[in-house]
Amino acid sequence: MTALHRLIRDPRLFWGGLFALTLALSLFAGDLAKDIGAKWVMKFPKPLELPLDKLISAAMKWLLEEAAIGPLSFHAVTRFISALIEAPYLAVRGLLVDGLQRGQGSYAVQILPPLSWIAVTTIFCLLAWRSGRRGLVGLVGACFLYLAVFGRWESAMATLASVLISVPMGVAGGVALGILAFRHPWAERAMRPVLDLMQTVPVFAYLVPILFMFGFGPTAALVATVIYAMPPMVRLTTLALREVPEEVAEAGRMAGCTRRQLLWKCLIPTAMPMLMVGVNQVIMLSLNMVIIASMIGAGGLGYDVLTALRKLDIGGGVEAGVAIVVMAIALDRLSQAEARRVPGTGRGGRLVWIGLAVILATSALGYVLPFVQTYPAGATLTTGTIWAQAIEWININLYDHIEAVKVAILIGLLLPVKGFFLGIPWAWGIVAMGLIGWRMAGWRLGLMALLMTGFIALTGFWPEAMITVYLCGVSVFVAMLIGVPLGIWAGQSDRANTVLSALIDTLQTLPSFVYLIPVVMLFRVGDFSAMIAVVAYSIVPAIRYAAHGIREIDPQMVEAGIVSGCTRRQILWRIKLPLALPSLIVGMNQTVMLALSMLVITALVGTRDLGQQVYMALTKANTGQGIVAGLCVAFIAIMVDRILTAAARGMERGEAGHG
Amino acid sequence: MDRPVMLDCRGVWKLYGPNAETFLARHGAPTAETLRAAHLVGAVRAADVTIRKGEIFVIMGLSGSGKSTLVRCLSRLIEPSGGEVRFEGRDLLQMGEAELIDLRRKRMGMVFQHFALLPHLTVLQNAAFPLEVQGIDRKTREDRARAVIELVGLQGREGHYPRQLSGGQQQRVGIARSLIVEPDLWFLDEPFSALDPLIRREMQDELLRLQARLQKTIVFITHDFDEAIRLADRIAVMKDGAIVQTATPEELVLNPADAYVAEFTQHVARAKVVRLATIMAPLGAGPFAGDLPGQARVGDVADAVERADLPHRVLDEAGQPVGQVARQAVVDVLIGREVPR
Amino acid sequence: MTFLTKAPACLLAMLLATTAHAEVESTDPIKLTLHDWTGQLITTTIMGDVLKKAGYNVEYVQADYLAQFAGMRTGDLDVAMELWATTAKEALDEAVATGDVVNMGETGMKAIEEWWYPSYMEESCPGLPNWEALKDCAEAFSTPETAPKGRYLGGPVTWGGYDEERVEALGLDFEVVHAGTDAALFAELEAAYQRKDPIILWIYSPHWAPAKYEGKFVEFPAYSKECYEDPAVGLNPDMAYDCGKPSGPIYKAAWKGVDAKWPGAAKAIRAFTLTNEDMGAMVGAVDLDGKTVEDVAADWVAKNEAIWSAWIK
Ligand SMILES: Nc1ncnc2c1ncn2[C@@H]1O[C@H](COP(=O)(O)OP(=O)(O)O)[C@@H](O)[C@H]1O
Ligand SMILES: [Mg+2]
Repeated sequence: MTALHRLIRDPRLFWGGLFALTLALSLFAGDLAKDIGAKWVMKFPKPLELPLDKLISAAMKWLLEEAAIGPLSFHAVTRFISALIEAPYLAVRGLLVDGLQRGQGSYAVQILPPLSWIAVTTIFCLLAWRSGRRGLVGLVGACFLYLAVFGRWESAMATLASVLISVPMGVAGGVALGILAFRHPWAERAMRPVLDLMQTVPVFAYLVPILFMFGFGPTAALVATVIYAMPPMVRLTTLALREVPEEVAEAGRMAGCTRRQLLWKCLIPTAMPMLMVGVNQVIMLSLNMVIIASMIGAGGLGYDVLTALRKLDIGGGVEAGVAIVVMAIALDRLSQAEARRVPGTGRGGRLVWIGLAVILATSALGYVLPFVQTYPAGATLTTGTIWAQAIEWININLYDHIEAVKVAILIGLLLPVKGFFLGIPWAWGIVAMGLIGWRMAGWRLGLMALLMTGFIALTGFWPEAMITVYLCGVSVFVAMLIGVPLGIWAGQSDRANTVLSALIDTLQTLPSFVYLIPVVMLFRVGDFSAMIAVVAYSIVPAIRYAAHGIREIDPQMVEAGIVSGCTRRQILWRIKLPLALPSLIVGMNQTVMLALSMLVITALVGTRDLGQQVYMALTKANTGQGIVAGLCVAFIAIMVDRILTAAARGMERGEAGHG
Repeated sequence: MDRPVMLDCRGVWKLYGPNAETFLARHGAPTAETLRAAHLVGAVRAADVTIRKGEIFVIMGLSGSGKSTLVRCLSRLIEPSGGEVRFEGRDLLQMGEAELIDLRRKRMGMVFQHFALLPHLTVLQNAAFPLEVQGIDRKTREDRARAVIELVGLQGREGHYPRQLSGGQQQRVGIARSLIVEPDLWFLDEPFSALDPLIRREMQDELLRLQARLQKTIVFITHDFDEAIRLADRIAVMKDGAIVQTATPEELVLNPADAYVAEFTQHVARAKVVRLATIMAPLGAGPFAGDLPGQARVGDVADAVERADLPHRVLDEAGQPVGQVARQAVVDVLIGREVPR
Repeated sequence: MTFLTKAPACLLAMLLATTAHAEVESTDPIKLTLHDWTGQLITTTIMGDVLKKAGYNVEYVQADYLAQFAGMRTGDLDVAMELWATTAKEALDEAVATGDVVNMGETGMKAIEEWWYPSYMEESCPGLPNWEALKDCAEAFSTPETAPKGRYLGGPVTWGGYDEERVEALGLDFEVVHAGTDAALFAELEAAYQRKDPIILWIYSPHWAPAKYEGKFVEFPAYSKECYEDPAVGLNPDMAYDCGKPSGPIYKAAWKGVDAKWPGAAKAIRAFTLTNEDMGAMVGAVDLDGKTVEDVAADWVAKNEAIWSAWIK
């Protein structure tokens, strides 16, 4: 009994023991089980699997075909919502892409042209001007010029139209739910798991039901985008309202505000800077969805990327991908400038008139001079085959080196880890996760981990889940290995920070599909390519949080080190890194979340993980399978999140975990 | 001291912690020990306060002693766990939402330690805010706002935003905002604590000047005893949520209720608090160098008394001579000899 | 000046718009689905152009290949022009079984899907295209990860294809690796082709790849239904799938309401056919020569009036 007690108490014994046991089971349990004919040890017995996917599919079918409140069918309700969303979307699209039309389909006749490219560019430049930053005007102007000059205008405007609809929807919904959670603790408790799921279930998993509910075309894509982009807005709203100083709320109440006045006249305006951070997040996440949205009929730049890459037109893919980046940067910087804008500074009303004047002038002029209305096709630029040639050159001349490195990593890292995870018997996996959760944060988390892991085994996705864990684990490891030093560098040098910010922005918004194809060309289809794609995307928080952690260190701590005679290396290793550790853990947590959200993309290069299950479910329109596999992904994400959060908290308190 | 009572609070409690709301009902008047055993914080414990019309009532105590909590119970910004608060005889704690809002709109004003200005509004709009929420039209409220802004000496900065102002200026806006509804009861929660010492003095003077003009009933919170004795008609000293002593500055200095209060008072220059009426001798036959009010503090009149060879006559509030004071008595106070009672 | 003349013209066009097409059964737009491969875009655009010639109102909608059936069942989408028997038969049959979707017949094009290798591999594996050659030169197709086994790059798992079974049944020493999408499939081919590296993979036709790269389909024992279903049939008496892949027609499908709402259009859609050769040439013109889908389709329509005018008679 005391030995057991010691084992649990002593962190080294606990973690070492757990690992050793798992390793031993992973190595030998499979063979042993085969010898005694107990196949169920490694493979969850099929007859015992929960038929949850079938139940969900059936429920969905019922919902769509039979559910009704009185004469009002569920289907009619969703279609009504769909129409509500579609109307403003079509209006904005008309403004930016189609012009004012009469009639439908090929009968449609344009009555008024859409806003000219000059007008749109000017409007956005004026918005930048409003913030009072000259540099921003140049940046935004350059971004929109890129879209015109590289011949992406129409697609970009289609994408912009969906962003202009999905962002207000996401923001309004997020603020409303955030307020609800702020006011009522029960609402927050109820919402938290839902938000967790919204953020971690891969979009592909709920695409099928959304298509069924909202019909084909842009509405479904908009709804999916909103679901994906809204959660941070909800959380940030609640947080922002909570962070409003108590005194401000009291000042409002003492001034005699009613509840509603207090919220809208005191709390929300005071919380505005943080709310704008949320808006910014919604914009960025909406743009992340561009590719996926285009797969279900949103068109725009995402569609350009997909079609270009299907033709192996790497240059076209890159140009369209960069167009997404450029648009993201323009909108991001604009919204950030707006968030930081000191009230009362910048310029106001006059700009509206300038904008209107430009719209009218270019529209009228456009009839006489077509190039004012539409950027002339003859004057567009393209990088043509430069990209393809560059890849070809690398492919022919450097392939042997690349291959050597790849094989070394594959054999030294990927395959052993894969073997380890695939060898773990499911029953032990459940127990081990329960133990880890309990050890990190007490019996509640332990129980949760136990149930969630149990769910994964019970629904028959154990091997896929293990491949997921392996692939994400390795990718996160590599991302941290590369990202943390970069982040430390950025945290210590402003120049490095500038360079890396640009890299981060690009990695975050460039659709991974764009680099997936060159990666496949150089590394072939397989886990290695998948790993590179995941690393490229998920390295962002690793860099960002490391830099943040280093920069936030109290300078006095470093000074204390200097006066005690530390060398630079000692300062880094003995002072900065330990102090930045909680931030690094948070960064790792975010890295895991992003890695998991990339899963579906890895399916596109052919891994056999949960992402593939979700993707297969999508192509077969199998609602149940998609949702169940999506839930498995979400549960992995939630467990990792809780465990790492507990670790970071423990570290901040200076403890080594729960005893 | 028989001015009418404005705010009267009896046995007010505020507990924080698990089951705080029901604890009091179950335990009556718990001691500090029972509270600790139940993991509760007694932010305010059995506080009795009576605030009279027109006085400056200061609540003084170290940080964490429950001053803010008490004043928020008085204005019902937070719901007391127990006790009774009466505003002009009406039970504040029984008022409905609408009644309370009406009361705050018309009768109360409050100034906050960190100013609590709305960052998106200009100085003018901030000052006019209480009128805006009442739905008063723009012209009226801005005219009134301009008047209070001038009152606090900020004219010319109406169009500025809070973050463009210094701390002292921001607090002037806070004061202007709290005064715009012409409240009868004015709460100030450590209004000058976030300011630099020099500005703080200036603002104290400003407050006295305003009070001389406006004659509000003031509940003033501070952790600074010097500030308290400078401003107060009466002071309530708080410790660990309970009121230890309520008295005039002079009584407090001369007769601290316990060691805790004495700790504050011992370094206070007596001359700043002791009034002539306290140290005067029975009225003699004269001749006298002149007349001085009994309410005057020794420090303020010391020069005159010292310079004169003859004693001064001391007058009461009605102007009747009630005693005399000579050089020696003043010197005793100034150099800190035991003051005779 | 131009503006002044154009504006009334626009207004006039607007007024005329409702009357000009009155001879068709319904002026509602017929919604044709577009996917993300060129052949399908061309097929659909030609169909759309022809329907327009007949006076119908046509609208193109981007939709996922398999998810589109959900749309066709409710009438959100009307017509899908390329449903390959090899990849969408199950989904099509399932949709037709609900009674909401109608199979509009074959397009005349045949889908070929099979193992394919570039010609330069014949040097290291001389017996090709006969499949038996693969038995002896599997190692020529190996990579460090699979060696000594050969590496066969299959299509996305969602395409099915039974390649694992085939490899085992025919005793081939190959490991099957699945690409996740067809973009990845052809990316790897492009790269290997540039390096003249060994590769053998799943390719389908009509597609631009067989036109761009020199190479051949492997000749397996001919497919038969029995070969797939009955282990006894074929070379290996104990296992099924001991033969090549089926080639199959490419179907068209439509929402059940199309027949009633636009009978003339339904007839034209049923009549639509193209040949593999025509399609291969057009796909090449777009994907390799960089022409636009619209131009290529318009070109075909201009040159083949005799053919399509019969569809809309
Ligand atoms: N909302 C609250 N929840 C829990 N404890 C509180 C809360 N507000 C105040 N307290 C506690 O009540 C005590 C008195 O606080 P406060 O009234 O703010 O003191 P002061 O204003 O004198 O500095 C402190 O110990 C504080 O920690
Ligand atoms: Mg306080």
